[in-house]
Amino acid sequence: MSLVKERAGIRTDAPPRTPPGTRRGALPRLWHFLGFGAPGLLVYACFVLAPIALSVGYSFTNANQFVPRTRFVGLDNYTRLLTDQEFLTALKVTTILTLIVVIVPNVLGLAVAVLLDRRGWFYNALRGVFFVPVVLSSVVVSVVWQAMLTDDGLVNTALRAMGVHSPPGWLSDPDIALYSVGFIISWQMLGFCAVVYLAGLQSVPQELHEAAAIDGAGPWLRFRKVTWPMLAPALTINTVMLLITGFKAYDHIQVLTGGGPGTGTTATLAFSVIQTGFTANRTGEASAMALLMLVIVAVVSSVALRFLQRREVDF
Amino acid sequence: MNRIARLAVPLTALTLAAVGCSPAGTDAGSSGAGGKKEITFLTFETPNLDAAYWDAAIARAEAKVPGLKVKKLVAPSTDRTGYAKQLLASGQFPDVMISVSPVGFAESGQMAPWTDKELAQYTFPHSNPIGGKVYQLPYNTQPTPLVYYSKKLFAEADITAPPRTYQELLDDSAKLKSKGIDPFVVGGGGKDTFASSYLWTALVGTDVYKQTPDWMAQRRAGKVAFNDAGFKGATDKFVQLVKKGYVDKAGLSRDYANTEKAFLGGKGAMYPMGTWFATAGDKSAMKDDIGVFAFPTDDGSLSVPSYTGGGMSVSAKSKNLKEAKEFALAFQQDKANLDAVVKSDGAIIAMKGYTPPAGMGPVYDATVKVYDAAVQAKGVTNAFLVETGDDALLPGLVEKSYALAQDVIAGRKDADAATKALDEDWKKAATQ
Repeated sequence: MSLVKERAGIRTDAPPRTPPGTRRGALPRLWHFLGFGAPGLLVYACFVLAPIALSVGYSFTNANQFVPRTRFVGLDNYTRLLTDQEFLTALKVTTILTLIVVIVPNVLGLAVAVLLDRRGWFYNALRGVFFVPVVLSSVVVSVVWQAMLTDDGLVNTALRAMGVHSPPGWLSDPDIALYSVGFIISWQMLGFCAVVYLAGLQSVPQELHEAAAIDGAGPWLRFRKVTWPMLAPALTINTVMLLITGFKAYDHIQVLTGGGPGTGTTATLAFSVIQTGFTANRTGEASAMALLMLVIVAVVSSVALRFLQRREVDF
Repeated sequence: MNRIARLAVPLTALTLAAVGCSPAGTDAGSSGAGGKKEITFLTFETPNLDAAYWDAAIARAEAKVPGLKVKKLVAPSTDRTGYAKQLLASGQFPDVMISVSPVGFAESGQMAPWTDKELAQYTFPHSNPIGGKVYQLPYNTQPTPLVYYSKKLFAEADITAPPRTYQELLDDSAKLKSKGIDPFVVGGGGKDTFASSYLWTALVGTDVYKQTPDWMAQRRAGKVAFNDAGFKGATDKFVQLVKKGYVDKAGLSRDYANTEKAFLGGKGAMYPMGTWFATAGDKSAMKDDIGVFAFPTDDGSLSVPSYTGGGMSVSAKSKNLKEAKEFALAFQQDKANLDAVVKSDGAIIAMKGYTPPAGMGPVYDATVKVYDAAVQAKGVTNAFLVETGDDALLPGLVEKSYALAQDVIAGRKDADAATKALDEDWKKAATQ
């Protein structure tokens, strides 16, 4: 063996290479990874993990930023929240809003993507137009829509000009306001969904369409049997992103309705957390609300992710 | 590479510890550019008090405190108290702040009290005390609300003089309604939910606080409740105004700026609003068409809910407390600043010897006349939802009340439901 190595020009006195994963190479490799990973890990620890850990701690106390003595209250905050009508209403409002925000942009985004799945400068320009709201600040979007949806705004002025005597109070009617907010968030997220679906559409192999066409499949059948299954990863991404967007909705609510009109209409969980923590000063209770919200988002997102990933297929 | 990595880890940690994880905001104890001491000052912007107003006012007061540099902070909405709480929670509590309700901050030792010597210049030096101490300079009286009205729309409805009794108000509202004119313009949309509550504030003033000036102190002591006959009766008047169609429900979609615009655009005849509206009224094309009256009582006596305060508060933990106080006093006592806030925000200055600048507009002059008459008639009361200090609602209840006022305007709650809900919220706030 040694002779063979010598003939091949391989030095036999050289130290053998440490196979990956052996103890001798582990420490330098650890330093190596830490060197690159440390900045990100530290930022993540400071701004994500530490606040979550603090919130967990606060949630078991009666913490109030204006009351110096904080007392451990065990699970009191949690048990109270689970029977608190205001919290349950906020949960219901958040669920309805999330359903709107998940369904509307997904359906319309897919339709827009199918329409934009063409070549040419015009379609490229349109893709840009649809994506503009995504990059705008939520506050800017909300201010613009609020100006359009107030009673004296563009929409109702146009409706009155068309002969509608009592146009809807888009943001002032307690029965409509939540749907208006849902529509506005959906409008902003539409471009995101369309772009993700468009990327999915463009990755479907042409030969699959051709094979299906040869087998006699029409456009609708090809969409249902070829395109739609191949869009499963895009649907997963969009659904999970929209679920999170819906559950954490705060800024649109703050600008458009301030949680109103009236009680229990558009105050989402995120909005209620801020109100409880910073207006009513009940930091402990707000932390418990935030953690319950975190758990709900994590569970719903995980279930959705698992369910949707099962649909994904590889060709 | 390993050597680089070994160096990178501690360097990154040190850098983040020194920069990223250090308390954000201005280090109040540090010296700014040119060796000056730097303090932060929390302001808020409105259509009347815009950025240019604050910049000029700060520059004038800054010039009176040598060696001081002031960094302006602007609250993202008119809820500067909520923003101050966020700043406190994140370790960025400003050194000086204006129009921030001291409730909570004062009791927890975050704000420094003003001494009698520092308050000597003020007409009502002991307004809104907390535990007997004053934490906010009482420089400005704001009757909230008075009722501004369009003389032209009143004339169109054959109303020759503003109402003096509540019955006359109802009669005038009926006349306006019969002419297709919305009697009351209200707001409350978006972030400015407060603008929905002023009819309620007015009615609690005329029907509750006028008879029982310490009503809220009694509520704090548990001697009265919102669902009691008196308070519920005042709330029911609000409900009835809505039921009769005298309150424009569309207002719930309008933020404050759009509400003001709606009244100035002739969308309704009466506008219950704080006296800061006077300036906007005087700047408008219809300034000679705007009149003002105190919300009428049943017997025609004068009752004007008012709030005196609104001034500067100082952080007790400011590393430059002396300079912060000097700046705050200089800001509030500077004649040019006071004139500017009178011109821009229609303030009624509550300082001894102060006279408003000449050439104020007719709406401001009429406003001051109504207030002076109420002072003469001893008809000034606290303003429900505006009062602070020992007379204020418990934390979080003001915002709940705005939502309840919106419920009333939207026709979702009657007086019984609204006052019961307020009692429930009170109970919850008191026990947690």
